[in-house]
Amino acid sequence: MTTNTPYRLHRQHKFEHGGCKYVADLESGDIVQLNDVEWEILQRYDTQSRYQIVEGLKERHKVVSIFEGIKRLEQLGARGKLLRPIEPIAHEVGFDLPETNSNPKLLVPFHFTNEKGAFDYITNLNRYQFLMHLGQFAALETFQFSEAGDSNPEQKEFEVFGDIRIRTIESKEKHTFAAPWYAIEGYDGILLLSQLLTDDPLYYRVPDVPIVHCIEGSQKLQSSLSKTFLTLYAFQKPNDTFVVKASWMKEWLGELGVPAKSVRVIPDGINTVDPIGKALAKQHTAALFEKPMFAQQPIVGLISGFEPNYGVKLISAFARANPHLAIFVYDPVLAEHSVNLSNNVVIFSADDEETLSVLPIFFQALDLVCFPAIPGTPLSLVLEAMAYGTPCVAMTKYGLPPEVESAGAAVKLEWRGLGNFRVSMSELSDAVNQWLKPSPTRAECKNVARDLAPKFTWEKTVQEVLQLFADGYQQTTNAPIAEKTLLPSIFCRQYDPGTGTTTSGVYRLGTNRYEHLETALVEILSEHHTPTEVEFVFKHFRGKSSTPVAK
Amino acid sequence: MINFPKSLHQLHIFEEEGRLYAADLDKARIVELSPVMADILKLAETHANDKIIQTLKSAYNEDDIFEAFERLEVLEKEGLLFNRGENLTETLALESERRKLLVAIPGISVDSFFDIETLYAGTNMALSYMFQHLTKYVDLHFAGNQNRKLADNVYEVDISIDDFGRLSRRINETYFGILTLHRDHETWLLPLYQHKELPPMLVQCHAPRGHGGNALNSMLRHYAAMRDFDAFTAPSDYVREFYSDYVWDTSFFKTLPNGVDSALFCPMDKQEAKRELAEYVGDARIITTPTVGYLSRVQSEKGASVYLKLAELNPHLLFLIAGPSLGRYGSRELPDNLVYAGFHPREKLPMVYNAFDVYCFLSMSGEETFGLTVLEAMACGVPPIVPNFDGVPSVVGDAGLIADAENFDQDIGTLVSYPCPIDFSEKINLLLNDGEMRENLSQKARERALSFTWDKTAQRIIQFFEELRQKRQLASPNNLINVFAPNPPDVAFALKGNELANQAQDQPRCRSIILSMNEHYERCLMRDIMYSQKVEIGLVLSFLKNHTPREAEAFLAAIVEDEAEAQVILQRVQGLIHATA
Repeated sequence: MTTNTPYRLHRQHKFEHGGCKYVADLESGDIVQLNDVEWEILQRYDTQSRYQIVEGLKERHKVVSIFEGIKRLEQLGARGKLLRPIEPIAHEVGFDLPETNSNPKLLVPFHFTNEKGAFDYITNLNRYQFLMHLGQFAALETFQFSEAGDSNPEQKEFEVFGDIRIRTIESKEKHTFAAPWYAIEGYDGILLLSQLLTDDPLYYRVPDVPIVHCIEGSQKLQSSLSKTFLTLYAFQKPNDTFVVKASWMKEWLGELGVPAKSVRVIPDGINTVDPIGKALAKQHTAALFEKPMFAQQPIVGLISGFEPNYGVKLISAFARANPHLAIFVYDPVLAEHSVNLSNNVVIFSADDEETLSVLPIFFQALDLVCFPAIPGTPLSLVLEAMAYGTPCVAMTKYGLPPEVESAGAAVKLEWRGLGNFRVSMSELSDAVNQWLKPSPTRAECKNVARDLAPKFTWEKTVQEVLQLFADGYQQTTNAPIAEKTLLPSIFCRQYDPGTGTTTSGVYRLGTNRYEHLETALVEILSEHHTPTEVEFVFKHFRGKSSTPVAK
Repeated sequence: MINFPKSLHQLHIFEEEGRLYAADLDKARIVELSPVMADILKLAETHANDKIIQTLKSAYNEDDIFEAFERLEVLEKEGLLFNRGENLTETLALESERRKLLVAIPGISVDSFFDIETLYAGTNMALSYMFQHLTKYVDLHFAGNQNRKLADNVYEVDISIDDFGRLSRRINETYFGILTLHRDHETWLLPLYQHKELPPMLVQCHAPRGHGGNALNSMLRHYAAMRDFDAFTAPSDYVREFYSDYVWDTSFFKTLPNGVDSALFCPMDKQEAKRELAEYVGDARIITTPTVGYLSRVQSEKGASVYLKLAELNPHLLFLIAGPSLGRYGSRELPDNLVYAGFHPREKLPMVYNAFDVYCFLSMSGEETFGLTVLEAMACGVPPIVPNFDGVPSVVGDAGLIADAENFDQDIGTLVSYPCPIDFSEKINLLLNDGEMRENLSQKARERALSFTWDKTAQRIIQFFEELRQKRQLASPNNLINVFAPNPPDVAFALKGNELANQAQDQPRCRSIILSMNEHYERCLMRDIMYSQKVEIGLVLSFLKNHTPREAEAFLAAIVEDEAEAQVILQRVQGLIHATA
């Protein structure tokens, strides 16, 4: 557990004199007068974390004055009085938590009831499976805020998650602090599941605790996605990581400006069933959809990630261009709205256990899997569809994604942003029809596709996620202490009698000289913002040629 | 050799890790002691050296005791452990009901303020009068290097300016405010603004410009650095007006007019005064010829060259100069009608003023915020003629004549104005030729002078400190959290051809996001969790965590082209901070 106060006490002697409280710093020779709350903070400072200090004193003192007290003492520390910054200790061992407790403790802030509508059934199910598997290797805990006498309405919802412990926070407490306060201590990591993509950023304000933020690519959220991700990226500390489920998500984030080091691709595990044979699967499919052609014609499975309007247009065009093909579309949004397309198209999505149970039959019936490598497309379904030995044609910007490498071909996609891309229909049709024909390449690809399934297991997924926490934890312990400038700066206007003009400059106390504004601005911003944020600000102003910051 | 008994600072002697220490609470410093030193300190206030030796020699050998004396002497020279000067603790405790002001003006001998004859600079003179009248309302403690009573309700206290930061809490508990003086070559005050716990500071400004731009730049530094509950005072509104060209918040410039001792400076029998001065100078023309007066240092900045020209232009009038010496003009051939009237002690000045028929004030230095001599002349019923520059016309009002002057926006060399000799000359003749007007203005001058009292000045100081203390109470901590996030490229624009695509490039690349949770993990805004704002808003929010709104002003001026827009940004952020604190 990290003790997240950044200083240690000097050797000191506390005493009271004439009704006032003082502490004599035996190292610097200073005497500092303290108020009651500072006096108590100092008694706890060396052995307790900020959280423990505030929690321990909040019954007797106002929360504001406790924070102010800590701030004053640390300001004195920054000037070399009473406290000294903790020397960074080089940690050789990695995640040393297993020594004390075999499983790391992770906080999973989760509002089960609130988010039901946000994602489709499969996405939710995958998350459930992820948590179930993670629970075997980590102690998971979530918060519940309850009114007094409340009958824990969320309790029931969590029962399905089995191993997740629920930490109930009384409503009285809730009015004092926002949820992230309760996350600042006792956890080895915070797992954000990117539920509504709005509620999570506050957890990024929790110092030191590494955050792994698992991001779902959902076609429903596409319009707001790019802005949200860039915002979340700005919130990241160096020991935080985004987890995306497919390489194309990472590529897309890279184009938005999120660098590769902040993003990890960790695919979900996939689920397959014992095969029943393609012929039988095709018959079942034809029967279930009451479309005989699905038993007679080659079936192309299109795992859609399209923005709905564009999806309808593309699927219609594809179906019209290929009337000889049976087209099975997996698209939760279009399925939900019962969109009617050509006769050779069926649209399906798994909405519950029952519909999910038939999905493997449809997948086994496929002769080719087709998908766009875009943020809305779920990789796990693409892989599940291919798992019975079906090659794929991917509509991509960068060639065949590494997850399905050697199991198909790529069609060039001209992509200008979410919901705005072009794919040449003739190229797509040509590629699809080409790949439906028997050939040695197709045979080889079928084998590759069949071998994919064992590579994507939930065990592997959770181990990789846990490793991210371990790495983040190590990075926290080894993080260098930010050096504070000891010479305060004064931003002020400066009149130049030589030119008769007034400019803004920075006057540095101690040296008593003017400096360029930009240096001091970086200092100020670095105290409160991450290097990434500082970079954003400077990029912003460099784009505006008229400002001095741009010089 | 140190001589006991001696009174001690407030000390707390303690042992820690096997060593002895004295905590000197008056200096906020600790001193390591040997056992014998600690024992000496226990006897120090009551025993003489020989008694101490006698008492301690059974426990220590004499050499050790003498060595301890020597070490204590060294500490005493550093100002530690022992009271330098008188032990004021008891004296002050008796008068504790009165509010106390700490006066911090290093570099000027405290005694000089109470020996008015040693002062001839207007600023110091004004301060001296101000202090005398302040004592009616508060005790004055001058930060110095010993403890002593200077006069009733006036003390020098052994607090070094270097120790203000360390003693900030104690100073805040003891003092109502800190009164100090701006001087552009000094920088000691700037670090003190960093101590939020020091009481409000009122910084008197008597030289708002001039000095080759140094005064202005120094003032701008102070303006930027001072806390929200500090302020400048200047003797006339002009200073505030002047600075309105350079800063946004002129409420930091408070007008504190000087007063005049109207009992000392009062109208006398003019002929009698002229006779007395004539006799002193040895020039009977003073009695017979209309006189023009000038009382100042004889320097270009004070208008000596212009005065010389006025004399040359008006051979029919007598031009008198009263001042410390003729300076460089002493070696020149001066016109016959220019007479050096000598340097007079303060109590004789009313006689000198009364010997003038009109008073000429010609100073063109950047330090003329008021013109104390003009007010003294007016109090003596002498109508003044002053140049239309800086703060002087506001002192004269309609009780004198205002002559043309060419004012420079900024100083040239050290001069900020050039009074027009022709116009001055015409106005002198107008006044000397029109007895009725002269009589009328003389009465008005006296009446107007009576409205400027030092008592009013002192009361205003108290009032300013009260206002500043109130401002301090209203100050809000800035605990808001702001994050900078990049904006995604605008897809909609990119779709619509080149012209609009170019506009898309001008879209802000970054925005600021204010969170609903503050640094104390409190929900300070209820509805949403993130509020998008312009980058500039976020910058100011972060900026104001460790810097003042006046600094943010300078910063905004650098990054926002439109000043009005920049001002609105600052106002909005300050409003947000107050509303969410």
